[in-house]
Amino acid sequence: MRIRSAWRAALAAGAALVMLSACAGAGGSADTSGGGKTLEIWHAYAGQKDKVEFIEYALDTFKKAHPDIKVKEVSAEQSSYKTKLQTAMASGNAPDVFYTLPGGYLKAFVDSGQVLRLDDELAKQGWRDSFLESSLPSVTFGGSTYAVPIDIDAALVWYNKALFDAKGWQVPTTWPEFLDLAEKIKSAGVVPVALGNKDSWPATFWFQYAEMRLHGSGVMSGFGAGDKNATFGPEAKDAAGVLQTLAQKGYLPKGANGMSDAEANILFLNGKAAMVLNGTWQIGMSAEAPAGFELGYFPFPTFAAGKGNQSDVLAGVAASFAVSEKAKDKEAALAFLRHITSPEVMTKYVQIRKTMVARKGATTPEAAGPLLAGVVQDVIGKADTLDPFYDTAMAPKTTETYYSTLQGLIDGSIPPAAASEAIENAAKAGK
Amino acid sequence: MSTSTRSVAARRDARAALLFLAPAVLFLAVFVAYPLLTAGVLSFHSWDGVSPRQWTGLTNYERLLGDRIFWGSLRNNVLVALTAIVFQVGVGMVIAYWLVRVVPRIKRFAMFVYVVPVVISEICIGLLWGFVYNPYFGLLNGFLNAVGLDELARGWLGDRSTAMPAVLVVMNLTYLGLYILLFVAAFENVDEAVYDAAAIDGAGHYRTFFSVSVPMVWSNVQATTLLAVVSSFKTFSLVYVLTRGGPSNATDVVSTYLFQTGFGNFEAGYASTIGFAQILLTAAVGVFVLGLMRRGKRGEA
Repeated sequence: MRIRSAWRAALAAGAALVMLSACAGAGGSADTSGGGKTLEIWHAYAGQKDKVEFIEYALDTFKKAHPDIKVKEVSAEQSSYKTKLQTAMASGNAPDVFYTLPGGYLKAFVDSGQVLRLDDELAKQGWRDSFLESSLPSVTFGGSTYAVPIDIDAALVWYNKALFDAKGWQVPTTWPEFLDLAEKIKSAGVVPVALGNKDSWPATFWFQYAEMRLHGSGVMSGFGAGDKNATFGPEAKDAAGVLQTLAQKGYLPKGANGMSDAEANILFLNGKAAMVLNGTWQIGMSAEAPAGFELGYFPFPTFAAGKGNQSDVLAGVAASFAVSEKAKDKEAALAFLRHITSPEVMTKYVQIRKTMVARKGATTPEAAGPLLAGVVQDVIGKADTLDPFYDTAMAPKTTETYYSTLQGLIDGSIPPAAASEAIENAAKAGK
Repeated sequence: MSTSTRSVAARRDARAALLFLAPAVLFLAVFVAYPLLTAGVLSFHSWDGVSPRQWTGLTNYERLLGDRIFWGSLRNNVLVALTAIVFQVGVGMVIAYWLVRVVPRIKRFAMFVYVVPVVISEICIGLLWGFVYNPYFGLLNGFLNAVGLDELARGWLGDRSTAMPAVLVVMNLTYLGLYILLFVAAFENVDEAVYDAAAIDGAGHYRTFFSVSVPMVWSNVQATTLLAVVSSFKTFSLVYVLTRGGPSNATDVVSTYLFQTGFGNFEAGYASTIGFAQILLTAAVGVFVLGLMRRGKRGEA
């Protein structure tokens, strides 16, 4: 009898433990009181102060405007978020509203029929027209739009202005000028280009910009749309050669493939490297530079014989929000999408994060600060086309080949001709 | 009568045993057997983790046979295992002997120093070594430049030829402490009388080490070697933190390649195939190593 009651007590304790751990499992989420409707929102604005500040603002104002909607927030840091959402989608448990990368990542969910089509809603009250036209293709598949774009990252060349002024170096406009400058910088004992390619994406900017100048923009969109004639063209070999030239002439840091982007940034901010080809987030990354550092920028150099439009800019949607096909309360979900893309919230985003947003008119000079406002006006404003980042537009498996091929170009283990062929084949196989 | 009471007692014991075993069995079933079976089934499918999975038969296994990155990463695992046997088990044994027999006075302090990396998270160790290897502000190149060996300074982790050796150095230094710890405990259990007898026979440290200490702890040598080999085949975090498997897969081990395939390329089916191959290979190598060592023991006797 005694044994039995002890057994029962153990069972009860076990049950309590299970319940406890169930609670702990929901640790990343926060329930906020409200009325009857519940809206589950997943996002990747975690781990970084500016990201958290933005999403808190967006959610607080949303709750105030919609007191009847109960919001359940689930957040994760970017890299783990990708896996988390993927896993939820795989088991068919998509959250009502979710943050998602555009391009290939979102397309997989769209293809499996789990994402709500937004066309009808976007047509109302000119919502669609409130976005920059160039921001919509990366969230549009088969003619329908499935997510609303939030921010846009553009890549351009950043340089250490104080160092340039002190040494009398001139900002280049053409590729031969750029190479001459790099040679001068190198002989002054400074690394010309801070490239930390451990995570593989930084080198892609070089290949893609060269390809855009030499061959033209829109190649990857062609592959994505299943265009049979899509090709990087014979120019891809020269684009690959551009990256290899930089490496072989010693214009990149030693061991660039083993250096993280953050380590390369330390070289750049401390004047040990003079230039870096990076996204607009470089403005934020330069905030903690030593005194006297001044950030400058110039568009990617032009190629005299290039077939592409020489003013095009490598830029793409970095993040977007979508609604699950299975969302119980679609109206509430859409209300959130409208709220987060409203001019007020988006201007706040620019203010906090210093990156451009897809909402027209929200990237105001006051909110953006002089640097970003200048980039928007001088570089992006003059662009004919914004060509989205290849690696986010590619199928995941293609991206992997793309990444390791570019690493091989840098360390010299793959010649340009073989590299361009490998990338072309991978893009064709990945559609 | 007496047999029946005994059988009742036995049955009661069996019931108690089952009761005590049940949680562990349940745990193994849910968290080991079930995922293993699922992965086994998955390894015959093509699945991106989202759309419906497709049965592809042996396609994944055929692809594995011709996958150069997989074989390259397996070769790296073998390298890790071989260096682990030499520099962790072998050197660990020598250092442990030295601590126990030669300088027992500093043993406590020395063990504390050796064990520090074992208790620190591998992620932290990887990040620290990343800075040691940094070509511009890292300790290693700084040291080389300071002593006038500038031409040896290089981008250790970014250079194809030095990336894998650089990773191996970190691994061996990190785990060495664990093996010293295990062998110190083993050597201390050896009866002092055996050493006395060796001393009377006129054996020096070299002779004592090979003819007395090592044979006396041979079962520990077997167990630790197996541990070193198996953990070498599963290694992941240090490689991932230091190089992500790059440059161009030069430092990939099977686990990092599996992770990349499953969670980078979203090829869940093929990733399961790699995982299955990894389990089989690890088991096979483990059996092989044990067999080899058993023969070694017989040769010794």
